[in-house]
Order: sequence, then structure tokens, then C-alpha cells
Amino acid sequence: MRVVRLALVIALAMPVVAAAQTATDVAEGKKLFGGLCVTCHGFDGTGGAGPPLNRPRLLSAPDDAALRNVIAEGIPNRGMPRVRRVTDDEMRQLVAYVRSIGKVARPAVRGDAARGGQLYAKLGCAGCHIVNGTGGSLGPELTNIGWIRGPEYLRQAVLEPAARLPQGNLPIPARGYDEYLPVTVVTKDGAEIRGIRLNEDVFTIQIRDATGKFHSVRKSDAAVIRKETGASLMPSFANRLAAGEIDDLVAYLSRLGGAL
Amino acid sequence: MTRRTGTRDSGFGIRGFAIRTTLSFALLLWAFVASAQAQVPYERLLKAESEPQNWITYAGSYKSHRYSALDQINRKNVASLKLAWAYQIQRAGIVETSPLVVDGVMYLTEPPSTVTALDVRSGRPLWTYSPNIPPDVIVIGSPPVNRGVAILDDLVYVGTVHGHLIALDSKSGTVRWDIAVGDNKSGYYLTLAPLALDGKIVVGVSGAETGIRGFIDAYDAKTGKLAWRTYTIPAPGEPGFETWGKGNGWQTGGGSTWLTGSFDPELNLLYWATGNPAPDWNADNRPGDNLYTDSVLALDPSNGKIKWHFQFTPEDVHDWDSNETMILFEAQIAGRDRKLLAQANRNGFYYVLDRATGEFLSGVPYAKQTWADGLDAKGRPIRKKGIAPSIEGTLVFPNIGGAANWFSPSYSPQTKLFYQAAREMGTVYFKGAAEYKPGTAFTGGGGRHVQGDDASGAVRALDATTGKMKWEFPLLSPGYTSLLSTAGGLVFGGSEEGNFFALDAETGKPLWDTQIGGAVRGIPMSYAVDGKQYIAIAAGFTLFVFAL
Repeated sequence: MRVVRLALVIALAMPVVAAAQTATDVAEGKKLFGGLCVTCHGFDGTGGAGPPLNRPRLLSAPDDAALRNVIAEGIPNRGMPRVRRVTDDEMRQLVAYVRSIGKVARPAVRGDAARGGQLYAKLGCAGCHIVNGTGGSLGPELTNIGWIRGPEYLRQAVLEPAARLPQGNLPIPARGYDEYLPVTVVTKDGAEIRGIRLNEDVFTIQIRDATGKFHSVRKSDAAVIRKETGASLMPSFANRLAAGEIDDLVAYLSRLGGAL
Repeated sequence: MTRRTGTRDSGFGIRGFAIRTTLSFALLLWAFVASAQAQVPYERLLKAESEPQNWITYAGSYKSHRYSALDQINRKNVASLKLAWAYQIQRAGIVETSPLVVDGVMYLTEPPSTVTALDVRSGRPLWTYSPNIPPDVIVIGSPPVNRGVAILDDLVYVGTVHGHLIALDSKSGTVRWDIAVGDNKSGYYLTLAPLALDGKIVVGVSGAETGIRGFIDAYDAKTGKLAWRTYTIPAPGEPGFETWGKGNGWQTGGGSTWLTGSFDPELNLLYWATGNPAPDWNADNRPGDNLYTDSVLALDPSNGKIKWHFQFTPEDVHDWDSNETMILFEAQIAGRDRKLLAQANRNGFYYVLDRATGEFLSGVPYAKQTWADGLDAKGRPIRKKGIAPSIEGTLVFPNIGGAANWFSPSYSPQTKLFYQAAREMGTVYFKGAAEYKPGTAFTGGGGRHVQGDDASGAVRALDATTGKMKWEFPLLSPGYTSLLSTAGGLVFGGSEEGNFFALDAETGKPLWDTQIGGAVRGIPMSYAVDGKQYIAIAAGFTLFVFAL
């Protein structure tokens, strides 16, 4: 009888203790997340330039051990840095918080993905983007874009493509550089080249123009090198789509890769 | 204490007792002769500048000028510089080495702590030695790199990532002695090129990111016996201890000594600089100036006693180690001849001190900095408010890697200019918890870099006496490029993107460049053999040697 009573006490007490600890961890983890992670993963992990984390399953962090590893080491060449070393306590708090946002029911993505897919075809997006091996290669591949970017980032990319160029998904140029940065070069003999920067060093720059042609320029041969920061070769679709259509297109993109 | 470790491959396979006995006798005889005529006696090191065909100490001379008096390669002909030979390292890793060249042999270090001797004419290896690094070696605070060896008499000295100092026979790479400088289980490790003095080998340690208590050691060059140890953090009762607050923060206070010092034989002062306090970004348990972190110490090389000190960054919370190479030069200031010490510090300021007394003479920014409103009359920074790391992050320039770092500056006696690659980059600094557990990270925060197109770099030529910029050559990104100036009127440097180039030392105009395919992290030097000048630089996983 006494043994049974003791067991009951333990059984009642344990979940309470565990829950209290987790609640503290989640709260502390949220504070840490606000400093270290929010810039890329968005408030409450809703995503941005980095992937949304408010999902029950994370592609690069299927279990807690993998999540700890991603936080501790980053994902080289995929834009995820090791922001800083964290203590064991801080790691536990961050993991607790990230898992907690994965359990919260996500707001339903507005829009109809099937209609968005039809729009994608109609607008000719495939002229510049590859999905599942099909399309043009001037712009970024979108096969898994639903995993990589949050819906708000994708909406902004459709409406204001120049507002935030991708960074950190490609190993070249290098981590942190604007990818698909438009560049205009006027050579000393008057030829003008406009395209996206593929790479650059102290003395040279490599460009791919809108026709896909590759250009190599030695900087000392150029009269003008204009890096068009704040511009994009992708047109804005803000004035070409109704609000509902934008929702549809974002819903389609958000599902690419089977992300939702 | 004397213990053979590691593997050595001399390329010979000698078997048979008779042969071995004969050989032993011959070696004994040879050793006797050799001891009478040591290859690199201290006297040669004292006058290293007088034999520019060789490069016999880390920075080219005790004054650390990283200047070559060779002028065969010069402004007029550098455009036709081309590859003479290349050597690929044995194991992938970052190569931050400054090779030595002595009488036809180059001594190169490879990551993590391998020493290889090469034929300077052909690049062919003569021997290589790799210490046995335990698989659980603790290297926290930098990649597992090595920056070069020292040579004295007939021994070559290398510091290792498992915290050892090893003396090798310069002809064969055989271990003469091998000692533990610091306990690697507590995070001590070595990356620097040792400094050879008269009968002593001086080294410092890395490891502030694990909460070590830093020190500078001098060892008997022949035996490896400790001659003296000077801690960079005073113990209770010693001057400066009061700058650590009332807790026990001093015991784990960092103050690494991870880069080679400079030496003035006339003043008999050894200058050794120190690194950040620990934990790096959280000063809660170390309120005060934290002497002698982020400082330069002037030491008596006979006993290690501190003659004077100057602290660059008191109570540092940004990881701005002050270990950067110190250049010794002479100039007139206000009509008076002064013996000077100059350093482009990681905190963004260029300092000039009187090296006889430690008196602060001037300090001006040479890169973007947002943390101080300048320095006061004694050189102490006037800190801005709101620059401390925080949970939500605080943007400050320079970045965690600093405006300068381990990479070498250069000083040309021809131009009187101090050449420095500056890093223009900020960091969002975070404060975090710090809990000391031996051999684990004890940093208390960290940072997110402002990088890519929002960062840049430049090679800057500063008037050595005033720090005023004479010219700059822009770099695409903030790199880790060391510089070499030469009597040919040139400054050699590199880039993160793999460019290696020569600039006009007077104007900064680029005169030659080539793409060598990997981030340039090696430290350039020059030598000559058979009347031909060479320039050596490591980049990626390869050492490249150029000549006309």
C-alpha cells in the first residue's frame, strides 16, 4: 500500500516538474532565438530568408540530436552559420523553443496551390526558374523553395524581387554575398554587358547575361562596373496579379518540394 | 621528458647491423664536427637582415619587419613574375605558414603541426615530420593551424596543436626532444612559430576560448628544460591582480600568447603581446581592466620579468586579442630620436609606443571602428555607450575577427611605411551564459558577421610614426592576408578569393597579379639561391614559389 502510494506521488509529481522545466526552457529559448535566429528564420520561426521552423518536421533536423548539431555547427554552404557557441543549458533551451513552435498549429496558407501552379505556367516563370528539372536557369531553382523560404519571403519575392536578393544558398560567390546581383559593365572600348554576377575577385568579375552567355571581365579593362544593389533582373508581379492570385502563387511556391 | 613521438620519413631504408654501426660512428664524428660549427648560431639570428638570401626567423628579423632587402624582383620587372615550383601539402587544412629558408633548405609547416623540409631550388621534399596528435585533441579558438618554425644552431622547433614544443634535427627531421608546454585537456595548444633567442626558445599558448590562464615560456634550446614562465594574469598578491574583481575570474581569465613576439637585443627587451580575457563576450565574473590581457609585455629575456606593460583594450568584451605582430623601428618624434614599437591592433587602432619605456605616443584608427571616441593621453580607449554584447545583439565595428589578426604586417625601411591589410567588417555581438568546464568552450556569447557585399578589405600604407594613411589598395572582402615589402619597391599580398599580387610600395598601384585558386592565408617571404630571387606564398592547400 505504501509502495503504491509513493509510486502515485511520483507519477503525479513528475510531469509537473518536467512541464515547469520545459516552460522555463521554452521562455529562455525564445529570448535566445530572438537574438540569434530571428533575422533569418522570422519571428516565432515563421520563416524569412531562412526556412520556416514552425513545422512538425524539419528537413535538416529530423530529431533533437540533428537539431543540436545544426545549431552547434551550422550547415556549411547553405547559409546557416554557427552564430555562436552555446552552453549546454542554452542549447537545451533553444531546442525546446524550436520544438515548441513546431507543435503550434500553423495559420493556414491563404490561396489555392493548384490555381497558383496554373498561374506559374501562364506567367512564364519557367522561362527563368527550374522546378523538378524543367525550366530556364537564369534565376534560382525553385524545386524545394517551399522548404528553403518562408511564405512572407516568397510573397515579397513576387511583389518586390529586388528587395532582398538570396544570400547563402550557393557556395559561389561565398557566404553572405548577394546572389543573382545585377551588374552592368562598360568596357573601355565601349561594349556594355548586363547580367548577373556569378563571381568576383579583386581583379576580375564573371557575369552571365539574360541570354545565358558567360562574360569574363578584367576590372582594369572596364570603364564602368556598376553593381546594381537593390535591383533584380526579375520583374515585379505586383501590378500584374490580383491579391487572390498572389496568394495562390505563394501557396503553390510554399508547397514546392512537398513542404506543406 | 625526452620522448620520441610521431613519424618521420627520411626516404632512407637502412638495414643491417654492420652498416648501422659504421654509420653510427660516422654520425658521431659528424655530430662532433657539426657541434663545433652550428648551422644557425644566435649571432646569425642577430644579424638576419645581413643575409637576405635566407629567411631565418619568423618575421625576417627580430624587428619583425617582414621586409626583404632583395631587389632583383622590382617595380620594373615584376610584371613578368611566374611560377617556379609548387608544393602540395599532405593533408587538407588551412595553411598559415611563414616558411624559413636556410642555406638551400626551406622549412615549412603544414596543418595541423607537420614540418617539411624542401629543396628551395626544386620544391622536392627532403624530409617530413608529423607528431602524433591525439584524435581527441582540443583546439578551440582557431582552426588547427601552424604558422612556422624557429631554427637555432642545428635544431628546428615546432609548436603543436596538442600543446607540445618539439625540437627536430634540422638535417633529418628526427626528434631531439619533445615536451608538453600546456595541458591540452584544459585547452592549451600552440599555433605560433617559436622565437629563438640566445640559447632559449620562447613560445606562447592559445586557448583563451577554453578559459586558460595564459603564459609565455622560455625553454633551454638544447634540452627543452623550462627556463622561465611568465603568466599573463597576475596571481593574488601580484601587481595587477586587483583588476580582476573579487571572484575567481582570474584563474580562467584567458590572456593567450599565440603569436610570435619581437626582440630588441640592445635594450635586451622581449616584446610579447597577449590576447583576450575569458570568457570573451561576458565580463560578469571579471569586473576590471583584466591585466595583462590585450596588452604588450616587455620582458627581460633572461628571467621573464615584466619590465613594462601597455594595455590596448581594458576589460575587453569583443574578443579583440592584441597578439598582432609588433614592428620595431626608429624615428624622430618632436625632434627626438626614439626607439618605437608599432602595432595595428585588432580593435581598429594603430598604436605607436616608446619601446624603451612603454610610453604611449599615438594611436589613430586605421579601419572603421564604432566602439571608442578615440584614445586618451595615456592611450586608454574612451568607450562609447551601448557597445557591449547583448542577448538581442549589438552591432559594432570591427568584427570578431578584428580589423587585424594573426596575419603579418610589413614595414619598409625604404619607404618608412607600415603596411597592413585592414578588415572592414562589423559583427552583431551576443552575450551568453558562460560556465567553466575544463577543455570546453568558455566564451559567453559570440556574433553574427556583417559579411558578403556589406564587408570589404584594403591594403593600407600608414606613415609608421603617425599612422596617417598614405595610400590604400581596395580588397573585395576582409581577408587574412599577410604582407611582404621588398627593396625592389614592392608590397606582396593576397586575397580571400585567391589573388596574389604585387603593389608599388610608394603608391599602392597594382603591378602584377595572378590567381592561385585558394584563399591566401599563407605568410609571404622571399629568398635567393644561385643568384635568383624567389617569392613564396601558401594558398589553399599549396605553397607557390615565384621567380622571374
